[in-house]
Amino acid sequence: MASIAKRALAAAAVASMAATLAACGGGGSGDNSSAGDAAKSGSKGGTLYYYINKPVEHVDPQRVYVGRDISNLNRTVYRGLVSFPADTDPDVANKPVADLATDTGTKNADATQWKFTIKDGVKWQDGKQITCADFKYGASRAFATDVITGGPNYILSYLDVPEGSDGLPSYTGPYKSSAAGKAAFDKAITCSGNTITYNFKKPWPDFPLAVAALHMMDPYRQDKDQGDRSNYQIFSNGPYKLQGAWSKNKGATMVRNDQYDPSTDSTEIRKALPDEIVFDIGKSQETIADQLIADGGNDKFAVTGERVPSAYFARLTGAVADRAVNVQSPFVDYVLPNFKKMTNPKVREALAMAANTKGWIDAGGGSRAYAEAKSIVNPSVTGYQANPAFTAPASGDPAAAKKLLQEAGVTTPYPITFTYPKTDTADKQAAALQATWDKAGFKVSLDPQGDTYYDVIQKPSNGADVIWGGWGADWPSAITVTPPLFDSRPNLTKNSTGQDYGNYKSDTFNKIVDQAQSAADLGDQTKALQAADEQLGKDFAYIPLESQKFNFLRGSKVSGYNNTPASAMYPDLGPISLEK
Amino acid sequence: MFAYVIRRLFVGVIMLLVMSLVTFLLFFAGPLDPARFACGKNCSEAQQAQTSKALGFDKSPVVQWSDFVKGVVTGRQFPDDPALRKAAPKLVTDCPTGCLGYSVVSTSTVNKEFKEAIPVSVSIAIFAFIMWIIGGVLFGVIAALFKGRLLDRGIVGIALVFFAFPTFFIGQLFLQFVAIKWRVFEVPDYMSIAEGGIGAWAYNLLLPAFTLALFYMAGYVRMTRAFVLESMGEDYLRTARAKGVRQSRVLFKHALRAALTPLVTMAGLDFASLLGGAIITETVFNFNGLGKLAVVAVNTYDLPTLVGLVILLATFVILANIVVDILYAVIDPRVRVG
Amino acid sequence: MSLSESQLEVSPTPDEPKADDQPQSLEGLSPTKLAVRRFRKDRLSMIAFYVVAFVLVAAILAPIFTKIGIIDPISLNQDDKLIDPTLGGLPRGAAGGITWAHPLGIEPGTGRDVLSRLWYGVTFSLSISLAAAIVAIVVGTVLGIIAGFSGGLIDATVGRLIDLTLSFPQTLMLLALSSIFVAAIQQRTGLSTNPANAVYEIGVLGLFGWPAVARLIRGQVLSIREREFIEAAKLLGASPRRLYFKEILPNVWAPLLVSFTLITPQYVSAEAALSYLGVGIKPPTPTLGNILTDGVNYALTDFTYFLFPAIVIAVIVVSLNLFGDGVRDALDPKADR
Repeated sequence: MASIAKRALAAAAVASMAATLAACGGGGSGDNSSAGDAAKSGSKGGTLYYYINKPVEHVDPQRVYVGRDISNLNRTVYRGLVSFPADTDPDVANKPVADLATDTGTKNADATQWKFTIKDGVKWQDGKQITCADFKYGASRAFATDVITGGPNYILSYLDVPEGSDGLPSYTGPYKSSAAGKAAFDKAITCSGNTITYNFKKPWPDFPLAVAALHMMDPYRQDKDQGDRSNYQIFSNGPYKLQGAWSKNKGATMVRNDQYDPSTDSTEIRKALPDEIVFDIGKSQETIADQLIADGGNDKFAVTGERVPSAYFARLTGAVADRAVNVQSPFVDYVLPNFKKMTNPKVREALAMAANTKGWIDAGGGSRAYAEAKSIVNPSVTGYQANPAFTAPASGDPAAAKKLLQEAGVTTPYPITFTYPKTDTADKQAAALQATWDKAGFKVSLDPQGDTYYDVIQKPSNGADVIWGGWGADWPSAITVTPPLFDSRPNLTKNSTGQDYGNYKSDTFNKIVDQAQSAADLGDQTKALQAADEQLGKDFAYIPLESQKFNFLRGSKVSGYNNTPASAMYPDLGPISLEK
Repeated sequence: MFAYVIRRLFVGVIMLLVMSLVTFLLFFAGPLDPARFACGKNCSEAQQAQTSKALGFDKSPVVQWSDFVKGVVTGRQFPDDPALRKAAPKLVTDCPTGCLGYSVVSTSTVNKEFKEAIPVSVSIAIFAFIMWIIGGVLFGVIAALFKGRLLDRGIVGIALVFFAFPTFFIGQLFLQFVAIKWRVFEVPDYMSIAEGGIGAWAYNLLLPAFTLALFYMAGYVRMTRAFVLESMGEDYLRTARAKGVRQSRVLFKHALRAALTPLVTMAGLDFASLLGGAIITETVFNFNGLGKLAVVAVNTYDLPTLVGLVILLATFVILANIVVDILYAVIDPRVRVG
Repeated sequence: MSLSESQLEVSPTPDEPKADDQPQSLEGLSPTKLAVRRFRKDRLSMIAFYVVAFVLVAAILAPIFTKIGIIDPISLNQDDKLIDPTLGGLPRGAAGGITWAHPLGIEPGTGRDVLSRLWYGVTFSLSISLAAAIVAIVVGTVLGIIAGFSGGLIDATVGRLIDLTLSFPQTLMLLALSSIFVAAIQQRTGLSTNPANAVYEIGVLGLFGWPAVARLIRGQVLSIREREFIEAAKLLGASPRRLYFKEILPNVWAPLLVSFTLITPQYVSAEAALSYLGVGIKPPTPTLGNILTDGVNYALTDFTYFLFPAIVIAVIVVSLNLFGDGVRDALDPKADR
């Protein structure tokens, strides 16, 4: 299925890459045309079906890093200290509310220390109280980078644990660590009764956002930890628990957790109305779309995070249209000029000037599948502004670009290689970009890559001139967008470009990032991040292509259906309910 | 006979050793670090090195190969890093004798992956095999009997057409039209006998097996027809006919039996290679058999799974060759093994 | 699957005897002329021959036609009058946007002309298949002759090599090795993506295809090498190379030709199947395989775009197979029984 799904996934094909690797989106959409019906409060009962195409890579809280899975697990089994409410309004949805903690945390003056108090009466599925030690143990697992792999590990660079000679924290996790490392970690996270204190080496003013957006700070019970073997194990503290095991290729059934006490929870986060939730893995995208269009049997009670292939748009008419949503995703796709090869700024400007983003969008499924993008930061992120550098018309201006190339004094045609992750759709989209770039005086050769795309473009020897990328904010702040993608210091090493695939290296930009990261005040941080994006625009460090739109179908008996920023614009399981 | 089998098995084992070494050298000499994919999105170089060490990818291909062979013989424990195993025994995954490795991507032993995938592939193979043998031999004999006439030309022609269209096209045609659009069938989704009983198991296998069978049937029709015609031309059959033995008796008693011998060889080998998974059919119908496992493993650069698959599939083929040769001797007394 | 060895052996089986093929007078005709005469008498083979010839001419003409602008497989026509941007870029109009300007319709999303793409796709698919068939034939013939003629240790070694090659799961290896080897080819030779993919595809198809040829040729050689003229050449002190290529090769060309015409269509199918699995030449360069692979996405919404590439593949495979059968029947004296 991996392959057929990939191929058949017409509209959002490129997105699948972004969805897996550029994980969690935390933002909402400004033009959410299909506002949900959160107001209606549904009734209890029934079995909800959630259709998923490819196997979920991880359900271990410290390893899960895909926006859809993070949200689904948060609403069902893994509560955090704080969580995002299920609201379609980004202003509300982007503000965490207390979940397992009594409030949203208190920080010291420079935001280098955060304190949370854990509620009384919150329990694991075996009835034991969730303790501060469980939280501390959970956080410690992220440090075992040799076992707990693939997850978000921001905490490694923030928590006040000294670094060893290899640039990694001296603490290496709960399984195997030096005594010194263990001592440092014990000092960095301290427990006093029900109160947990995190000590950071630099300010982290939006720490609660990170806690709400990811599961990396979730509690974990030491006696249940089996390292890699726990990857598909769920030990719940939420309203549901697993019935049987999670099967990688089939999914799982969740039933009610009798140890869960709704009075410790907030209905803003989760209402837990269905009695059972079945995660059904393995149907192809086409099959899912087709079944939901037909709306028979269990499909009446089904939702999905799989997009409707663009080839199916023509079938979303009449009553089916009422069950379809079209919302803007938290992702942005873009291309990066390789600064090692395209050193002349005029050439990069010409590249941006002749970027036919309309052709790219049309080839990929048109206006239903994509929205225009004017910055690498998604409009749903706090402090978004259109980047003033990108003035070219949507279909590109090859004539103006030609002039820029002449000014640059390079010989034309100027040969460039464009590399991107191969899908049937991306091939056509790339051809659209290629045509206009060629007209402007470039000579483009296309270099599509397989699923190991990111490994290939991370090689510093990678010879591509232009590189595709896709990203969504890990939590609704640009601090999880531009710094991780363009700060050369953590990224560029001898053998890897990290996530700075274009080898962008600017002291000016890095300075602005330092300002943003040391800001104890969120307002200051946002301003610095806006300046950082402007700097990227001046250097033409990236060219935004589009922001994907999600097209989802649902069954006719599903109510309380919302695509919220908290669920990365996937269906939010929090308020969902079923009609009889 | 016994000595012969032993000798063949011995040669087979040697061949598997050579193949596994070749596979290791080919795969692990590649430009990408298999730990990279496991390490995830926010993976620094130092972390990747750590992951690589925990998984044993930092060793040379030959050392990894010898570990692999040892694992097959005596079993292994994962993670590969002994220090980590010692410090945290509860992390250890045991992989007993016959161990084919540990897949980082699916966070389980390769054997466990195979255990889930093999029933799917074997089911499809058996179903398709039955369909194509019956169909192929039946239509082949009919074509031979009506040699040169319209029926013959029709059968041969249709067989050629099914042979000529790509399997994934035929499969998609069935899936998209027969199942999705016209709803003659429900969209097939593999269900084991334990889950849904024999009925559901068979029902879900029909379309994929038929897709696969059509392709093979085309070849077997042509082959059966040719073999039957050939053996009907043999002298002893001419004699039989001349002596007045009935045509049908000549056909079933003599011609078919003679034609059967080469068919058995072909069928045995084709069946064995199918046990290793029908990559295209499983991909089209989204069945989690060995074939789809292979595609996923390639896409995720899951080298341990790939190495395991190569060895498993090769074992099938080598064993089938031995079995076929023995069968051959049983069916056709003129052939002696030794 | 479509690469399995069985098909190689399925095809070259004797077909029906042709009673009326027996020429009235045999005097003064070379075996080749006889074969041609026999071939011409078979109507089906002749039709297949004409189709194959037509396809070959079309394949040769495609680059020329593209150069002078008669067909255009690359340019985009993202005109809102042609494709509907609100419906995922589906072509407007009936049957995938068939018009006089685009007789087979246009490609969804880009508006490229499907006829042009298919036409040029035939060129690329055939080039790959023919090249891979040549690799298989050359390697198979050389090793087959050497093994058959030398016997002993060399023969046994080649035999083991054949067994080894056949024991590898081919489709899996083709898939798995592509990510490793295409990159390696690019690094070593500086080729860009698609040429490197082409080299890889031709190379591996050929290298997994030679054993069947080698077995066939070895068998032929075994029967030839005992004949008098070889003995004579040996006695006259002919060098092994002379023996192999001057004395034996001319005597095995008939089965080689048959193998060649029957392997080529298999590789046309293989190219399509591999494209579907993501191996081989990538768009925008059209091949029959990658066009059909995209077409699969539109089976229900743009049926003609799904159907046409499959038909082209089927026509090529059928005609090449029939042509190959015809050649075999014409050359194989047993068929005149």
